[in-house]
Amino acid sequence: MDIYAQNILDRYKKPFYKDKKLDASIRHKEANHSCGDVVEVDLQMQGDKVTAYSFSGNGCAISMASADMLGDLATGLTKKEILKLTKEEIYKMLGIEISVRRSKCALLSLLALQNALIDESRH
Amino acid sequence: MDFKKDFPIFQHRPQLIYLDNAATSQKPLVVLDAEKDYYERLNSNIHRSAHFLAEEATIAYEETRQTVADFIGTEKKHEIVFTRNATEGINLVARSYGDACLQESDEVLLSKMEHHSNIVPWLQLKERKGVNVRYLDIDENGQFVFDSSQITSKTKFVSLTGMSNILGSIPDLKPIIAAAHAKGAKILIDACQLAVHSPINVQELDADFLVFSAHKMYGPTGVGVLYGKEELLKKMPPFLGGGEMIQEVFEDRFTPNDIPQKFEAGTPNISGVVTFKAAIDYIGKIGFDKIRSIEQELTEYTLNKLSALPYLKLIGPKTTDNRSSVISFAMEGIHPHDIAEGLSQKNICIRAGHHCGQILMDTWGLPATARISLAFYNTKDDIEQAVHALEEVYKYFH
Ligand SMILES: Cc1ncc(COP(=O)(O)O)c(C=O)c1O
Repeated sequence: MDIYAQNILDRYKKPFYKDKKLDASIRHKEANHSCGDVVEVDLQMQGDKVTAYSFSGNGCAISMASADMLGDLATGLTKKEILKLTKEEIYKMLGIEISVRRSKCALLSLLALQNALIDESRH
Repeated sequence: MDFKKDFPIFQHRPQLIYLDNAATSQKPLVVLDAEKDYYERLNSNIHRSAHFLAEEATIAYEETRQTVADFIGTEKKHEIVFTRNATEGINLVARSYGDACLQESDEVLLSKMEHHSNIVPWLQLKERKGVNVRYLDIDENGQFVFDSSQITSKTKFVSLTGMSNILGSIPDLKPIIAAAHAKGAKILIDACQLAVHSPINVQELDADFLVFSAHKMYGPTGVGVLYGKEELLKKMPPFLGGGEMIQEVFEDRFTPNDIPQKFEAGTPNISGVVTFKAAIDYIGKIGFDKIRSIEQELTEYTLNKLSALPYLKLIGPKTTDNRSSVISFAMEGIHPHDIAEGLSQKNICIRAGHHCGQILMDTWGLPATARISLAFYNTKDDIEQAVHALEEVYKYFH
């Protein structure tokens, strides 16, 4: 059986960014209630730039691998760049075909990340 | 006996292993033919127009009402109201009976294993009228934790499932119905899962209301049934307004039609209702004795196979007592979505998620479960293939 591509399985089993306990300045949680997936994104910022990323939560392999790979993508980007990220870029980052029924799993962490920054600008 | 041959989807998709029957069942050829036949030979609006075709369509539509009445054991066919689905039936009762007969701080008693469609309409009633909503606890076998002290003089309505769509358990309703009636409370039974697995007799049960959906019992989507006791339906105000549900309309008022038309506003799903008769007749031809015995055997087989996997945890009753063929489980370290995805690659359909039962999931600390739900057309081979795929999923992740 080969459910997901190896990169997804690897990042799911051995994430780099999970539970890093950052001294985070920004934190935001999103849930996908119908699947029971939860992702909380923690960020450290310097000025407008994300300097450190971590996440916690639980969910399926796609949601967790996506949350982890998002750390590579987001670190070093500015807020403006992050808010411009699209779902196509996330699918490209994952490098696998994402079916409609799994799109919510793939995009949950992006939602958490972008909403973290939107929350931040409200304060 | 190979019942799959009655269901064309298995000819079109010979690899398909369909274990998601609790979401919706597949449809036998007799049902598909009945729908085609209706549109080809009978199509017309009902209860209106003075021509022969409308009359024939009306007769066919009303025949299903009689069939449903017989199916659930009432002699009064006007106690059967056609809705779109079980959900609409519960909403109808909460809106019509609830708004008219319940007052602020009256209590509605539910349970923690209700489907969202038997929770949200009552929470909406709470918003409109200020009623209190309370929940019976569920024990590990999926039975209600109940004693008669739970029904007080404040309890005016009880609405409970006849079979859990998550745990597969069939709770004992009789003592609750008796206790509710002793205090003057009315009771609705959500028979959405039960109706396809077990015969129901509303008179024996003494249910005030009972709902189910045709699509879970080999019938078409878009048809539901609300059974209500005549004296209750009669005193309830209409739910939706429009054609069919009125007797007379004036500029400033209307008089509602008699039951059941009072609750069937607008052109209903005529083809669906007519077709539903073919589904009930199909069930009747096989018979619940046979359906139950096949499903019990398949359930036992599945429970045994699943129990043999050390990393798999069954959720709900572990034996075939007081249950039917819906089986929830979790696997160590693997999210239910990933289980379902793995099985999906092998053409095996199961459900993963909270199954519209978030309250039970939260109470039991489960983010989600995987669920196998069997119909009598499933086979031991289906189950073996599913179990084999579960073993592969486990290996893949460990
Ligand atoms: C126990 C139970 N009640 C109600 C419903 C709602 O059925 P429908 O969506 O057909 O209205 C379901 C469907 O999953 C169910 O399992």
